[in-house]
Amino acid sequence: MAGGRFSLDLARPSRQHWLGYVLLTPAVLLIAAIIVYPLFVSIDLSFQNVGIARLDQPRRPFTLANYERLFSSPDFWNACWVTLKLILVVTSACCVLGLATALLVNNRFRGRSVARLLVAMPWAVPEVIAVVIFAWIFDSSFGLMNWVFLSLGFIDRTINWFSDPDAAFAVVATTMIWKGYPFVSIMSLAGLQSIPEDYYSAARVDGANALQRLRFITLPSLMPVIGVTTVLVMLWIFRDFSIIYVLTGGGPLKATQTLSIMTYEQAFSFFRMGYASAVGVVTLVICVVAAKLTMRRAPDTL
Amino acid sequence: MKISTRSMLLGGLTALALTSAALPALAQQKTLKFVSWQKDERGVGDWWASVIKEFETKNPGVKVEWTKVERGAYADTMTTLFAGGKPPEIVHLASFEFQKFADQGWLEDLSPYIRTAGLNLDGWAGQDACQWKGKPVCIMMLYFGNIFAYNEEMLKKEGIAPPKTWADYVAAARKLTKDTNGDGIPDQFGTGHETKGGGGQYLSELMNYTLDAGGRWTDSNGKVTINTPQMVEGLSRWKDVVKNSLTPRDLSAGETRQMFADGRIAMKLDGPWLYPIIRRGKAKDQIKIAVPPFNPPLGGSSNILGMASEIPAESKKLVWDFIAIATSDKFQTDYATLAASTPPSPRAKTDGAKAATPHFDLLVQTAQAASKAGVDRIPKGLEIQYNEFAKMIMEESQRMIIQDLDPKVVAATMQARAEAIQKQ
Repeated sequence: MAGGRFSLDLARPSRQHWLGYVLLTPAVLLIAAIIVYPLFVSIDLSFQNVGIARLDQPRRPFTLANYERLFSSPDFWNACWVTLKLILVVTSACCVLGLATALLVNNRFRGRSVARLLVAMPWAVPEVIAVVIFAWIFDSSFGLMNWVFLSLGFIDRTINWFSDPDAAFAVVATTMIWKGYPFVSIMSLAGLQSIPEDYYSAARVDGANALQRLRFITLPSLMPVIGVTTVLVMLWIFRDFSIIYVLTGGGPLKATQTLSIMTYEQAFSFFRMGYASAVGVVTLVICVVAAKLTMRRAPDTL
Repeated sequence: MKISTRSMLLGGLTALALTSAALPALAQQKTLKFVSWQKDERGVGDWWASVIKEFETKNPGVKVEWTKVERGAYADTMTTLFAGGKPPEIVHLASFEFQKFADQGWLEDLSPYIRTAGLNLDGWAGQDACQWKGKPVCIMMLYFGNIFAYNEEMLKKEGIAPPKTWADYVAAARKLTKDTNGDGIPDQFGTGHETKGGGGQYLSELMNYTLDAGGRWTDSNGKVTINTPQMVEGLSRWKDVVKNSLTPRDLSAGETRQMFADGRIAMKLDGPWLYPIIRRGKAKDQIKIAVPPFNPPLGGSSNILGMASEIPAESKKLVWDFIAIATSDKFQTDYATLAASTPPSPRAKTDGAKAATPHFDLLVQTAQAASKAGVDRIPKGLEIQYNEFAKMIMEESQRMIIQDLDPKVVAATMQARAEAIQKQ
């Protein structure tokens, strides 16, 4: 190329940044096509009274009706409440279980590799397969859980897991925790392995017991990892669809209807794509705000 | 590496020549897309395959690209295909969902084709439901009546005769629901209904009881008629069956059918599609089929065949050829035999079907009884809002069972909510 009439010497110091732009262009174009463009279409649709959306149709008049209806809808506030409950329950359980298992498999013991594999296994299982397994475990008539509870004498009659709002919520939360905790565990394990051993040696010399070492060395050192992981788990719960949809479809009585299930239902069951877009846009805003707040509040150390 | 201008020109010309030679061959191969959830269904799937084979034989160079989409994802997939401007040319939809597509203008008015072909649709079962804004936008492919199947051995063991009325039926269901292995969990059920899943199936299951009690969702003018003593009685019956777990809870329709076929459920009310499942089940030799103990039986339109409106005229002609084959007397006769279902055409010969399916007369009888009583799963006046209506009925019924509500109160709530849905 050098010396040609239209050659471009990217090695020249004044043009070095061009190479960066050139290399970034395909990725930027791809992201614009598959994320930014649909996002703008969705925002635009949310301000129109659209049943089934078609891109080749003329734009409908601007309206705020979808948002007015949304904020006055009890279903929307119920979906917000269900989403919040799931986030609180699943995120905290995932963090506690993930951290506990990470601490466990960070120790040296026989069979540690197998233990690490077992801890990470649920993460590798496809969501739909996990859902099928849990649907069988919690089957009201022939499920394992009713049999175990009855055998242990915890209950005297079977629980209709998917016909009771509280039980259905518990099933969904349990499945999500099982599927989600290995991610926290893997991230925490990576964080644990980066803590210098010297810290612990110095603490032992100073007479710190195991609990004190956890409280004053392990947890503060892990906080940046836990902060980012919490946000990622939270966002996963916000957008997760398949676990809830396959297990309960959002029922019974909307007890497991999250914002993502509501968006899907409005768009593809009731064909109200303008309204569904409004739910989606509000969900996006909530996600951004929640992620921002969590990141800001997560301290670097305790 | 340097490439001379001459080499580039030569290469380009060669590529052009090769492409030109290949184009006519490609142009001759036309493809019509046909999406269906019935592709792998035993019986009816075989029938569709025979229609496709006949079409491809009659139209050399035209291929039907047949794709299966699961029923659960069907409405989403079809909506996306139509909204994206790439609809399947041959349109197969459930009879409770085509209205949304017709309302968007996505289904072709078939009247010119019907007229030109001289297709006589007089007496074609369920065809009235295909009229949209006064025009036929589809051909009804099945209008069915529910049959009543029961496990004779289980009934005999308890000394129960096949029920003839609701009272007999519920008494039998109570007696047949039991824990047979003593682990504290009932493992044999009197009857079986889907209580988990979509609103449409839930509505159908519930309608077995409301129809027998004389209740209807709407009248012939489309006015909501849920808050009536008949509907209250129907809801009470449903509550009795589900709340007392005379049916296994939280199972899909497919799972309950399989349980019945395997001898874990004693009685089942279902459409003609139950029979092929029974034949593969463990209890196939114990199961008998009879007239439902409910009057009128649940029945109604099932699925439709249509043509996408936004396709070239040449493709429309081919799609009509496909529809003409599917609606021909020969293939309607084959439908009865292969699908073991009642063909909608009054001209179909059912002798072969009667030989292959012992209870075929019963299928015809129940379909006629349902048709005579004007029964359909899609309430008049709520066609467009069907999904939302069905979801609402499911939720209110679940609330009645979970919160132990009085069916009178539930009927009043359903009435108010249905009217609100209708006014949207």
